[in-house]
Amino acid sequence: MEFFDVAQLLAKILIVVGAALGVVPVMVWFERRGAAWMQGRVGPNRVGPFGLLQPLADVIKFIFKEDFTPRNANKFYYYLAPMMALIAPLCALSVIPFGSKAIIDGHEVILQIATMDSGVIFILAFAGLEVYPIILAGWASKNKYSVLGALRGSSQIVSYEISMGLSLLSMLVVYGSFNPHDMVAWQASKYWGVLVNPFGALVFWISIFAETNRLPFDLPEGESELVAGYHLEYGAMKFALFFMAEYVAMIMASALIATLFFGGYALLPGMQTLIDLIGAQFAFGEVGLQNTKALFEFLSICSKIAFFMFMFVWIRWTLPRFRFDQLMDLGWKILFPLSLINLVIVTIAVYYFNS
Amino acid sequence: MGTINISKKYTAREKAYIPAILIGMKITMKRFIQGFFFRKHDTIMYPEAKRDYSQRFRGMHFISVDKNKTENCTACFLCETICPADCIHIVADERDEDENPYGVKKEKKPISFDIDSLRCCFCGFCEEACPKDAIKLSRNYELAVSSREEAIYDLDHLKRDVKGRG
Amino acid sequence: MSNTEIEIKKPKMDLNYTSNKKPVHSDTGPEAKPLPKVTIDGKTYEFKPGDTIMEVAERYKIHEEIPRYCYHPGMPIAGTCRMCTVEVEKAPKLMTSCSTPAGDGMVVHTKSEKVLKSRTGVMDFLLTNHPLDCPVCDKAGECKLQDYNFEYGPSKSNFKEEKRIYEDATTKKLSDKITLNMNRCVHCERCVRFTDDVTKTNDLVMVNRGWHKELEAADPDKGLTNDYQGCLTDFCPVGALTMNDFRFKKRAWFLEKKASICDRCSKGCNIEVHSDSDIVYRYVPIHNEMVNGHWMCDEGRVSYNDLMNPLRIVSPLLRHQDSLHSTTLQTVLGELKSQMLSANSVQLVVGTDSTREEAALLKDKFSDSLGKKVDVFFHNGTHGVSTSKDDVKLDHLLRMKDHTANTRGVEETGLAPLSGGQVNADIVVLFRNGRAAVPSMKSDQKVILWGVWTYEEVKALPTQNVLGVIPGHATIEKSGSFKNADGIVQKFHPAITHRGGAVSAHQVVSTLKSLN
Repeated sequence: MEFFDVAQLLAKILIVVGAALGVVPVMVWFERRGAAWMQGRVGPNRVGPFGLLQPLADVIKFIFKEDFTPRNANKFYYYLAPMMALIAPLCALSVIPFGSKAIIDGHEVILQIATMDSGVIFILAFAGLEVYPIILAGWASKNKYSVLGALRGSSQIVSYEISMGLSLLSMLVVYGSFNPHDMVAWQASKYWGVLVNPFGALVFWISIFAETNRLPFDLPEGESELVAGYHLEYGAMKFALFFMAEYVAMIMASALIATLFFGGYALLPGMQTLIDLIGAQFAFGEVGLQNTKALFEFLSICSKIAFFMFMFVWIRWTLPRFRFDQLMDLGWKILFPLSLINLVIVTIAVYYFNS
Repeated sequence: MGTINISKKYTAREKAYIPAILIGMKITMKRFIQGFFFRKHDTIMYPEAKRDYSQRFRGMHFISVDKNKTENCTACFLCETICPADCIHIVADERDEDENPYGVKKEKKPISFDIDSLRCCFCGFCEEACPKDAIKLSRNYELAVSSREEAIYDLDHLKRDVKGRG
Repeated sequence: MSNTEIEIKKPKMDLNYTSNKKPVHSDTGPEAKPLPKVTIDGKTYEFKPGDTIMEVAERYKIHEEIPRYCYHPGMPIAGTCRMCTVEVEKAPKLMTSCSTPAGDGMVVHTKSEKVLKSRTGVMDFLLTNHPLDCPVCDKAGECKLQDYNFEYGPSKSNFKEEKRIYEDATTKKLSDKITLNMNRCVHCERCVRFTDDVTKTNDLVMVNRGWHKELEAADPDKGLTNDYQGCLTDFCPVGALTMNDFRFKKRAWFLEKKASICDRCSKGCNIEVHSDSDIVYRYVPIHNEMVNGHWMCDEGRVSYNDLMNPLRIVSPLLRHQDSLHSTTLQTVLGELKSQMLSANSVQLVVGTDSTREEAALLKDKFSDSLGKKVDVFFHNGTHGVSTSKDDVKLDHLLRMKDHTANTRGVEETGLAPLSGGQVNADIVVLFRNGRAAVPSMKSDQKVILWGVWTYEEVKALPTQNVLGVIPGHATIEKSGSFKNADGIVQKFHPAITHRGGAVSAHQVVSTLKSLN
């Protein structure tokens, strides 16, 4: 491997991980202030301008809290769980394409950390890993409430993974590829996936709420019935890791749904005109034009991710949480059969149109 | 028999969930825009802005004093007697004749008058029982203290200047 | 009278406004004359010829239905307050029940409409000039004016003029024990009759007439001089006469009332211990015709102060390097036992203020529990009193020369008096209840103090060689019995619970025995 390849790979990893972790405090701030606005309150506004430094204060608090480990906990798994919780969604981010390609110093740089044909399978695999930290945390901390929370969390994630997988499968049938770049290219040339398969998009979106344990499906946590949930015995930075993992998972899920159904990094309408205008203005040449396009592609997917992050917050402060049996009913009795039927219909339609 | 079925039949629109969810989201978005763009909120910025409570609000106690800053309390123990939470503790004594321009009216005085605000339930019975209008409940609702000792109000604390009723 | 055993019990009525007259029964026999009968409120009662209506009511315990201010069973009848008026059939006017002799066939109504109206009127008059300063008045809660006004009084006063104020007598010290607030007085003159007929000192008089009637000491320079001034506050139906010792200390309704015996002298007056949270605030006499009647002397009344002394030793002390240190009872007893066992001779001096049970226990069991022969003596030592033969009355009422409560009872156990009041053994154990005097001793005498002691007393001892102090219970903290100067044995039970580290004599003896 050449030096440039290593450098660009490291740079991409740094940028993506840094951005993902850097967005977390902003999201925490936005979630708290957004909640306040939606509820007619003010929200945290004391630390820094507009309370923007509130997450920093929280982090300082987390760092200086007593790092407590229950005596009977299984130490290895107990420490493994929060790390895994953060690492799994971060890894999944590595196959999300944030742009087609940039040309730096005559080298083509694909704006994706790991370029692989089976990208979507990779994402699914790491999304599936998200169930493990919950089970490990609940079981290793030797607390009945944690175990109950973990049981809820694992069964919920496993259930919704099926309908999520089926709706994903229907899109794979449409796109005919596992490669995210191909999917984006398909959508850029034809229509966004959500227009082709709106029902699949809806099921996928609902499943994502369950996968990330967000309201209205935040059943693994529950102060009234579980004290806290699977992370009951975690404090200080270990708890903060779970907390960050939730937001990283949200980013990952938003990126995934944007890529699969909303055109990914495909340029938004009007952007091409803008690029042409800039190109005509400054006469970048071929390389400059491609880099400008990559920049706008990055902006495109980032705005989509931001939109879905906002949706997460919006939905959270609108809907009440489900009862656990209702959650399971929804997953198994409604979403699962409907997504199956949807898959069959999409398959027939694709066969019909392609022949 | 004997049971009343209060569950209602849901309409198809209600069963579909999505419209109801959209209505809810519309409301929260409206509030979000109001809060984000127009800075509209129903809460107050508490330590800077304070709510004005009613005249009848029962907050921290105080003991009224006369012109010479002598407490009106004559240590009759009626508040201690009526107190349902048992939080008032008085030690009475005779006022020195030299320091007593009031004669028989104030010949008895409290040498200590402690109210354990941690036990107090702010029922205001002491205020009602007081024959001298000495003990009263002010509108001060900021009762936070940093130690248990501070939560026991002594005579000096109770005789402080209070803006409130009285 | 001798060898009668009685048990101290709380009387039904507070502050002994009543006597313990018994119902009478007709003699049975051929020459028996039937007793006269009176009908009170529809029920017929037999009575002794010469009884007043009030006394008949007292015999049959229906006296609580007749209110009274001036009547007191221990004093002559005055009939000034008009509160006890009852309706007697065929009598033109209402009669005062305290002064009207009951007659055979008399029909009395104590609750008729006429009577109640009369009582309302009397209350209205009494309250015209009463200042209604109940919040600062110490009598509030046990005040007859409050009680009867609640029961009979008018709901509002017809008196619209200004109230009478005695400028000079609002807070007037009649003596160093009694404070007079003349504004509150209802002129029942119980106090005047008390000094006239009970103490016979004649040191209180009513001067002036009508609106200006005022209570004063007979000799205003000397003030009150008798030794029973506390009784004035007991029977004063309002808060006019209050005891300085109790004044402003506690409200009456907080006090818990338990019967006990005063151990200030050998009379053994029956008392009610008034305490709150096991802190004694005052002693009040209980009526007992055989011992103290209705009264109690002032020395006895304030004797609770010795007990409530903050300098009283209530934790076991042991000598260590020239000073006494507080430690556990086990340590103290273990160390003292080994010292006593190694000493050549040990004497135990039992004060005559200990109960009969304690004296018997120490006489029989102390040597046994220590495992060494100990000579046990008793010692009284108050002003030349060594045995009960030296005990004399100090006045015609109650006060006795002997300042310990149980001299006769300790003598009865067979203990010998300490000869010459002088101790001479190597180690002397002094057991006492806070009243008996300390025997004379050498200046380097080793002593062990046991019972009720204060730090002041320990400092004032002739010797400073105190090996240890074992705190004990005081009279009102324990049960037992005293035999008083008249030979009456009186049992009593704890009136308050001891909250310190003091232990009973029985426990000390058994602990001593168990220690090796």
